[in-house]
Amino acid sequence: MAATGGSDPEKTVTDMSRERIITNLQQAVYILNFVAVCLVAGSMALSISKIVDAMEAEMFLSLVRVRPWKPRTMIVMSVTSYLCLVMLSCVGQLWQGKGKYGRFLITAGEMFLCIGTTVAINMNYNGIVLLVVVDMVRGQKGSRQKVILGIAIVGLYTIINYNLTGAYFNMIPWESYLTAYSTSTQAFLKGTLSVFSSMNLVLFILYMTMLIQGEYRERERIQNLNEQLEEANRKLKEYAEEAEKNAEMRERNRLAREIHDTLGHSLTGIVAGIDACLTMIDLSPEATKKQLMKIGKVARQGMTDVRRSVSKLRPDALEKLDLEKAIVKMLKDTGAASGADICFDNQVRPFKFHEDEEEVIYRVVQEATTNSIRHGHADKIRIQVSKAEQWLTIHVTDNGIGCKNVEEGFGLKHMGERISLLEGTLEYGSQEGFYIIARIPIRWGEEHQ
Amino acid sequence: MKSGDKRTVWIPVIVGFILFVIAGVCAVENFRETRQGQVIHFGMIAGSYWDVPTGSCYEVIDAAIRRFEEKHPGVKVTYTSGILKEDYPEWLAEQILLGKEPDVFMVPAGQLDILASMGVLKDLGRLMEADKEFEKEEYYPAAWQYGNIRNTQYALPYESVPTLMFVNKTLLDKEKINMPGADWTWEDFLSICKQVTKDTDGDGVIDQFGCFDYGWREAVDSNGATLFEKDGTISRFADSRVESAVRFVRDLNGVNEGYVVTAREFDQGKVAFRPFAFSEYRTYKPYPWRIKKYSDFEWDCVKLPSGPDGNGQSALDTLLMGIGSRSRQETLAWEFIKELCYEEETQLHLLEASQGLPVLRKAVESPLLKQVLGNDNPGNGNMDVEVICQVMEEARETPNFRLYPAAMSLADSEIGYIISGERSIDSGLLKLQREVNSLLRQ
Repeated sequence: MAATGGSDPEKTVTDMSRERIITNLQQAVYILNFVAVCLVAGSMALSISKIVDAMEAEMFLSLVRVRPWKPRTMIVMSVTSYLCLVMLSCVGQLWQGKGKYGRFLITAGEMFLCIGTTVAINMNYNGIVLLVVVDMVRGQKGSRQKVILGIAIVGLYTIINYNLTGAYFNMIPWESYLTAYSTSTQAFLKGTLSVFSSMNLVLFILYMTMLIQGEYRERERIQNLNEQLEEANRKLKEYAEEAEKNAEMRERNRLAREIHDTLGHSLTGIVAGIDACLTMIDLSPEATKKQLMKIGKVARQGMTDVRRSVSKLRPDALEKLDLEKAIVKMLKDTGAASGADICFDNQVRPFKFHEDEEEVIYRVVQEATTNSIRHGHADKIRIQVSKAEQWLTIHVTDNGIGCKNVEEGFGLKHMGERISLLEGTLEYGSQEGFYIIARIPIRWGEEHQ
Repeated sequence: MKSGDKRTVWIPVIVGFILFVIAGVCAVENFRETRQGQVIHFGMIAGSYWDVPTGSCYEVIDAAIRRFEEKHPGVKVTYTSGILKEDYPEWLAEQILLGKEPDVFMVPAGQLDILASMGVLKDLGRLMEADKEFEKEEYYPAAWQYGNIRNTQYALPYESVPTLMFVNKTLLDKEKINMPGADWTWEDFLSICKQVTKDTDGDGVIDQFGCFDYGWREAVDSNGATLFEKDGTISRFADSRVESAVRFVRDLNGVNEGYVVTAREFDQGKVAFRPFAFSEYRTYKPYPWRIKKYSDFEWDCVKLPSGPDGNGQSALDTLLMGIGSRSRQETLAWEFIKELCYEEETQLHLLEASQGLPVLRKAVESPLLKQVLGNDNPGNGNMDVEVICQVMEEARETPNFRLYPAAMSLADSEIGYIISGERSIDSGLLKLQREVNSLLRQ
């Protein structure tokens, strides 16, 4: 624990600096693209006024055979839709991870604005698409989204590519606009734009590298955490086993103490008494009779003690509550712990039996419920208790996965043993879940102890 | 993390502020524009579209604007005056580039296709359909079709000019030849030419001629041949009617025995015939031009002679008006273009104050035409009004697709070789058809 704790703050520091670098790169991409858009739109708008001043409008139009947008519309449209795109991109970042549909809407909006901006500058600069790609890559999760993302990026590039779709969109190549400028200005403008394009590409690659690296680190960190968790789990299991062993040991000790204190004590007395009787019987049958009576008393006392000890092994709930309340409490606790919906339908009144019968009923219900949850993965369990003549029937059904070939495990075996002690029957099987039917003959007529 | 969040927040704030400023500026501009009230900009050329001298080029338009403004109170029509015909295409292109093209404007000659394909001109189909009063049948078909490209009407005709045949009456009188009638044919034309072509002063050189400037295009039109499919994808130069037209022109040129007649000889009154635009007729017939030009002889105009398969049809030159597709006042622009091109009053006014002919049947057929032509030429033999109506009705539409001028100049040079005898007629025309078709595929 100490070793991993030491490396953690360091990791957070590098994460934070990477976060900052990514933010800086993003801002650089925003600004760079803004300048590029302004450069292209501005040079296009300015060239129109230059063409008009040089009285070459007719020649220009017959050359390009497309009516360009109004210069003002060109600038306003390109700048506005680009700024909206940046705005949406920032909003997308601030809203990261909040809702799938919001994410989808933002991406769709970004693609639309990207197309809008690029068309407004007549597809003469398509670096903006990288900005959208960055946003899409950052937001994507899962392999299906990866496919959609791939299709979207290819589609976007196709739409934005002048050589592919420029003719359909009636776009005018930048070169045609540039003819209005002197050769040196043309060279300068073209050079500047190509520098912007390359810088944009470099920033894009840097950004993606940082992003992928970050993702890789994240994955590594998660793997690390997973290992730690597994280790902790293993230890916990060990502790549990140890605790169980301890408990068993304690119980054994208690039993030993109990036997020693009660049964041992009584038997010692009885053995000693019988020995005495054996010596006395020929001399004085009267005294022997008295002695035997004493021994009988000790034996009875021992029996009471054994009973008391055994009753200490009964379930706690049964000790304190009556059977119905104990079962309801146990089911409530189990239901709360497992999240299963357990219905207990008791039609037998009064619900009071001999101690051994109560214990078997309690154990059968408990064992059946536990089985349904543990092996059947059921989330709905129904327990019905009814009586017919001297037979008490416990019917447990669930909606779990059931079991084709039922292997009698420890639980079922125990249950069967307990029931057969009372000369009852146990029946179980799979049928839309698992079912257990236990029939116990009750000694109705006898008084309860 | 906290500082990173702050950094990403300031960008949207700044961007939002800029967007807000842009929206504000746009809103103010919009408000200012709407406060100016409804204004229709009109683009027109100064001077005559028909390349003839004119005194009052704004008269018809001004009157139409006045009437339109009376009908639509609060609407103003403005135009830039003084743009000459040769400067007009450049002016219009500049306005298009600046995004300030007029709501309604004259379409520069031969530019309908390119303006339509650039999307500068509005497709009038929807407006025409919505307008219950509007009937396209009111127009002469050739004039109407000139504004139609690929089955879409992009412009309405405003004024048309057919081609007539100028006749030197003094020369014919001297040679004791009667004025040809409206139903004269190529044979009559050729025989008159042969009759008048001679050496009058006996110096051994021909100095009196039959015709000047009559070329294969006029012959093809008057023989009823169509050179191109409507959409301008296929040419039909190898058609037998074209062939007979070219043969006729070759025969006609042969009469002059190789002498090339010039405009000078025509002006001196030594030539009997010349194809003549109606606008020239309207300009030079009345006083004072009647005295200033062609003062040595009497002259008049008749229909072009008909070829064996034709009816003496002539090409119709038409001035078109279109609506800018970016016009914000679509309905008003439509009303205004109708005021110019569909209103009888405006069209009748053209008869009086312009050199072309109206494009509406009812305007041409009105008694005003006879009256106007009579006023022009008091006490002289007048153009028959019915002939003019017939010429307009039968006139052949000039193709308006983009490559038409290029195709025709290629044809001009090739047919020039054929007429001069350097190539045979049938194989020469076949070759030309192939070449033009490959040009049209571009």
